Amino acid sequence: MRGRPALVTSYEAAQAPLRTTTTRVWFTALLLFLIILPLQLDAELNSLMATAFLSAIGAIGLNLVTGWAGQVSLGHAFFIGVGAYTGAVVAGDPDGELAGLGLDMAIWLPAAGLAAALVGLAVAPLATRLRGLYLAIVTLGLVFLGGHLFREMTSVTGGAGIGREAPSLVLFGVDLETTSSIAGIALDRPMKLYLLSLALLIVLALLSKNLTRSAVGRAFAAVRDRDLAAETMGVDLTKYKLIAFTVSSFYAGIAGAMLATVTGFIEPGTYDLLLSIQFLAMVLIGGAGTLVGVLMGAAFVSLLPRIVEEVPRLLPFITAESSGGFLTTFQLQTMIYGALIVVFLIVEPRGLFGLWVRVRNYFRAWPFSY
Amino acid sequence: MSKLSRGSACVTALLALALGVGTCGADEDGGGDAAAGKVKVGAGITSEPCPGGAADRGCIYLGILSDLTSGPFAQLAVPITDAQEDFWKRVNDQGGIAGKYDVNVTKYTRDNKYNPQEHVAKLREIEPKILALAQSLGTPMTLAGLPLMKRGDLVAVPATWWSGWSFDDDGLVLESGYSYCGEALNGLDYAADEFGKPNRVLAVGYPGDYGGDSAAGAKIWGEANGVDVAAVKTAPNAAAGNQDAVVSAIKRQSPDVVLLATGPAEMAEIVGKAVAGGFTGEFIGSVPTFNPAVLKSQAGRAILAKYRFVAPWGPFGSDSAAHDAMSKATGGKAPANDGYTFGWMWSYPLKALLDQAAKDGDLTRAGVREAVQKTTATYEGALPDHKLGGAGENVVKQALIAKPDPKAPTGASVQKQFFTGPTAEKQEFTEACSKA
Repeated sequence: MRGRPALVTSYEAAQAPLRTTTTRVWFTALLLFLIILPLQLDAELNSLMATAFLSAIGAIGLNLVTGWAGQVSLGHAFFIGVGAYTGAVVAGDPDGELAGLGLDMAIWLPAAGLAAALVGLAVAPLATRLRGLYLAIVTLGLVFLGGHLFREMTSVTGGAGIGREAPSLVLFGVDLETTSSIAGIALDRPMKLYLLSLALLIVLALLSKNLTRSAVGRAFAAVRDRDLAAETMGVDLTKYKLIAFTVSSFYAGIAGAMLATVTGFIEPGTYDLLLSIQFLAMVLIGGAGTLVGVLMGAAFVSLLPRIVEEVPRLLPFITAESSGGFLTTFQLQTMIYGALIVVFLIVEPRGLFGLWVRVRNYFRAWPFSY
Repeated sequence: MSKLSRGSACVTALLALALGVGTCGADEDGGGDAAAGKVKVGAGITSEPCPGGAADRGCIYLGILSDLTSGPFAQLAVPITDAQEDFWKRVNDQGGIAGKYDVNVTKYTRDNKYNPQEHVAKLREIEPKILALAQSLGTPMTLAGLPLMKRGDLVAVPATWWSGWSFDDDGLVLESGYSYCGEALNGLDYAADEFGKPNRVLAVGYPGDYGGDSAAGAKIWGEANGVDVAAVKTAPNAAAGNQDAVVSAIKRQSPDVVLLATGPAEMAEIVGKAVAGGFTGEFIGSVPTFNPAVLKSQAGRAILAKYRFVAPWGPFGSDSAAHDAMSKATGGKAPANDGYTFGWMWSYPLKALLDQAAKDGDLTRAGVREAVQKTTATYEGALPDHKLGGAGENVVKQALIAKPDPKAPTGASVQKQFFTGPTAEKQEFTEACSKA
């Protein structure tokens, strides 16, 4: 129990990040590991890790609105798309065929977040009128509306089947697209993307942690647990739902623009219902309403396809081919998502985070664990 | 609060580090040139033999990005890919490249699902490990990958006939045969000759520079011949659901000739539904619209009666040294469709290019790119020799017309041998048609 404060006098302090020496030591170790890791991985895995970090940013956003404020949103893919296309337009070639302003990442990245946040703000009033299933269906409508807009606004998105280039990674005038060497270490594009994504994730994760342990976070939780009771206690439902949607969309916008840069090319079909469900899966599998859980969920869902790709080598009745055989990897992957959501909701509603807490408590009480 | 500020200090340090990473220098990293014999080599070439290759030769890895599973051209793309494997196997059997290297086209074969985003993602994955692309399928996909190819000196064999490959690619795309634009001109010249000059033409195509190029060709033809040409855009069934919008457009506008630039399944649906709905005009298809499997569909009879397609070279059963070699490679068995012929023909320029680069003693990517301007592709009699590179000096204009024929080995026989229609002959290609 060394390093643990003797007396905690406020909710904020009780919820503070890195409260004890143990967590601080582990966090620092993990951070160092994550900083050194890209040097050991190849370009493909670095890109995959960057995708995981950036998905985590999007999932944190969804967690704010769904996990904390209790407003189920199936429209996350739409906000991700808004961020991606805002980034692409602000960064795009001004002389190209598609709309573009040719600005730096220092501008397009915040712009992507803000544009998505504005759209979130515009949509939020829906949430003040509806809740539960009704809200889920209405936000589902957003994905379809967005899908149509993205397909048809050809001067912005390039159109279905054609697409456009993602925003270019030029930060403060420095081109991150090319390989450069620092202190004798060659850093290629995926490595830079990895480090940049990690840095962004840490900043945005801490910001969300601070938001949720403030009065706003408590209001979110009150709305989630019982909106009528919250209102009776003086929580302004409209205000907090607006905040939840806006902040969540901001995160989605940032994640969308950055995720687009990983492949470097975006096609409108990407921002469909399946993407929304993937983010929902990250939140649910990880553990709704917890930050660490969502980080684990995002990592799990992002890395799962790559892990499943290895399965055919172990189980010969699953084929890597797209057709033939008992089960293909793609089908297996889809089934694993589905099964995991079912299993976690029934057996461990707190998700991976819940599992982690149980494991931790077991060892904390060791050798007197029951 | 001190804990928090310690945490934020840590974050600040990390951010600074990440930014520092960006700000410190952006000097180019030299490619891994390693001397092997007299030929300079770099990315995509190993001194170890290919998997299953000759033990005394190194290995050149070529990538393939094709529509192998769920896209609209999967039926054609699988034989295209098979043909390229057979083509390079034959090259290896005949001594490889300069007798020093075998060619492997299987290790870095990826599925682009006819989606540009997927294409670029897969290209990024395999790009560091290949010398060139033995296949880059789809016009929008290849265009999406072009910036990466330019940056990495990566030449590619296209599985697309966009007219822009003669102009907008810095010589990186090694096109063979005509373009969709020239195809449309020849196709409509043929239709005017065969069925009489049409009063109205409808060009139906996918979005982007496949359908767009074909429609642009139709427009040029219309202007040259004083014929009213309208264009309708459609999309693969995976995106559009069905082709009913096209069928109703055909009904509404009642053109005499419909020019199609879609996938085979979409073509069959359009022809079948339009003819069933009483449409009596003719259909001229772009070469990728045909797959003999559609003859077994409900639309089969309508297709046999009303549809012909333009082709850049003779179908599988034609007579030339190249066709004989193909037949030998498949053991005399006909492939599922003429995708096989496409894949085989498209591979000749890359073979000629690698030979030229090896002769120049530079098989690095930059060396291969440089050799483009000096290379002339030969097609073993299937097509006239074709000088690579240059911008528009050597655009191929000739085409032939094929007709579905259930008795022919790949379901189609030649209706009209190589010709260049009067409008195609007059047309000066100075830029991509679909950009004009």
